[in-house]
Amino acid sequence: MIGTSLCKWVISYFAVAIAWLLLAEALIVIGFGFPNHDIGGPDTLVVVHMVSIGWLSTVLCGALFQFVPVLVARPLYAERWTLPALALLTLGLTVLLAGFLALGGRFNGPPWLLPVGAGLLIAGFALVVANLGMTLWSARPLPGPARFVAGGLACICVTATFGGLFSLVLSGTAIGAQWPDLLVSGVPIHAIAGLGGWLTFTAMGVSYRLLAMFMLAPDGDARLGRLAWLAGIAALAVGLVGGVLALWRMTGLNLALLLAGAAALLSLAAYGRDVLSLYRTRKRRALELNTGMSLVALASLAAAAMLGATLLATGAFSSHVGALVFLVAFGWLTGLVLANLYKIVPFLTWLETYGPVMGRVPTPRVQDLVAERRALKWFVLFFAGSWAATLMLLFDTALGFRIAVAVVMLATLGLSEEFIRARRLADVAEPLRLPTGAAMPHLLVSRN
Amino acid sequence: MTFNDEDLVARIKQALKVVIDPELGHNIVDLGFIYDVQVDDGAAHITMTATTRGCPAASFLKDGVASSARLVPGVDSVDVTMTFEPPWQPSMISPGVRSSLGFAEVN
Repeated sequence: MIGTSLCKWVISYFAVAIAWLLLAEALIVIGFGFPNHDIGGPDTLVVVHMVSIGWLSTVLCGALFQFVPVLVARPLYAERWTLPALALLTLGLTVLLAGFLALGGRFNGPPWLLPVGAGLLIAGFALVVANLGMTLWSARPLPGPARFVAGGLACICVTATFGGLFSLVLSGTAIGAQWPDLLVSGVPIHAIAGLGGWLTFTAMGVSYRLLAMFMLAPDGDARLGRLAWLAGIAALAVGLVGGVLALWRMTGLNLALLLAGAAALLSLAAYGRDVLSLYRTRKRRALELNTGMSLVALASLAAAAMLGATLLATGAFSSHVGALVFLVAFGWLTGLVLANLYKIVPFLTWLETYGPVMGRVPTPRVQDLVAERRALKWFVLFFAGSWAATLMLLFDTALGFRIAVAVVMLATLGLSEEFIRARRLADVAEPLRLPTGAAMPHLLVSRN
Repeated sequence: MTFNDEDLVARIKQALKVVIDPELGHNIVDLGFIYDVQVDDGAAHITMTATTRGCPAASFLKDGVASSARLVPGVDSVDVTMTFEPPWQPSMISPGVRSSLGFAEVN
């Protein structure tokens, strides 16, 4: 197969995701949830799920619908499933968040909100997993980066299953009452499978291909990424299988998590080595802003790995887990996603606008749709704010944390404007901007 | 109007320079994407490649090559073959474009 088509709703996924991110950041800035409230409390759960599902999972699903076909050179199994999946994820998250707010006494809601919200989310993720899974299945044997995605898809199934069980426990149903200890022991598995397996492992795999493409680095060696994949799969398997067995027998969870953590560190170290190798062997010396900022996000991942190991070694893990999770969610994952959106949004906009007229009239470059010098300041603010916010959490300074997140939010708003300008072709100079035959793209939906 | 085939091939290659790789930002001739151009009695046969097989830009590049070649006087029909053998390598880029992409001397 040569070339893949544009997925119509990818831009819509990105827009919905950014709206959730901005909302979550605004809630943190006004002091809603951790650290002003309990880290496991309903208000914190609202913010955590807004970021992990509304922002990170939604944006990742959209990116995978466009990128998995590129990875495996096969068409997406069912493009018609992508809009229903977005609707289910958005509606499910809204109902789930209402359930958390009711649980925290913010309003007098019915107890079925949590299980119904979780059910809708599970249905949405099932559509995503089935669509991407069938696409991958058609391309066996899988290339290296696609194996990471397959591992990530398995992990979102585990995360969603645990989330569904939690909703039954938290809403006080008779079924949930059979597992009174599930929340205590199951939350680490839910979080590891979600943040570590689904979000981080998938992002690692995709970044192998993206970094090689953008840096013009050779990535044909079959050994590239193998150790990171094997160690990562071992970490997830030990963490998940060991965790479930420990849950069942109600003992040994810490040992399973310790072994999984060691394997995860090995995976991250191998991944870091691979990225450095790609960087050193790159042909393209002058890196674009998206690649440079992706590398900064990777530095956050390295910092998170070191912070996690230090917290474990000093026995301060449970008291500072909030800082670690924030650094992973913002410094690493959000930073990486924003850096890549800065390339993906103009690239998809270019294909939609200028692809059909190419060869008939002169066209601008993707680089002409962006203004890197203007965007650089937003990325600097974003990473500085994210790292400052992590430090504020480590120093237990709640007000400082909120101020730092306000800076992160300002940067998010600035980058959102950059994405809108790219969709509007606002930075493309005349006369190339709209040549004969080219149509102005819609802001939130692609023509395909 | 008749053209010498060699002259026509040169004109086609020149015309193909309107087609750019959107990501690398240079025309596909200087990037080394055009592997072969042959003309046989007004019928142009073009063999080309792209950086990544599954890239959504690949089909647009192929269509763009056909469109631009068809506009060249003397070309009656165009047949474009996309191949990934041999795979495209950065070493196929022309020296002038290499330096603008920031290629190091050692590479």
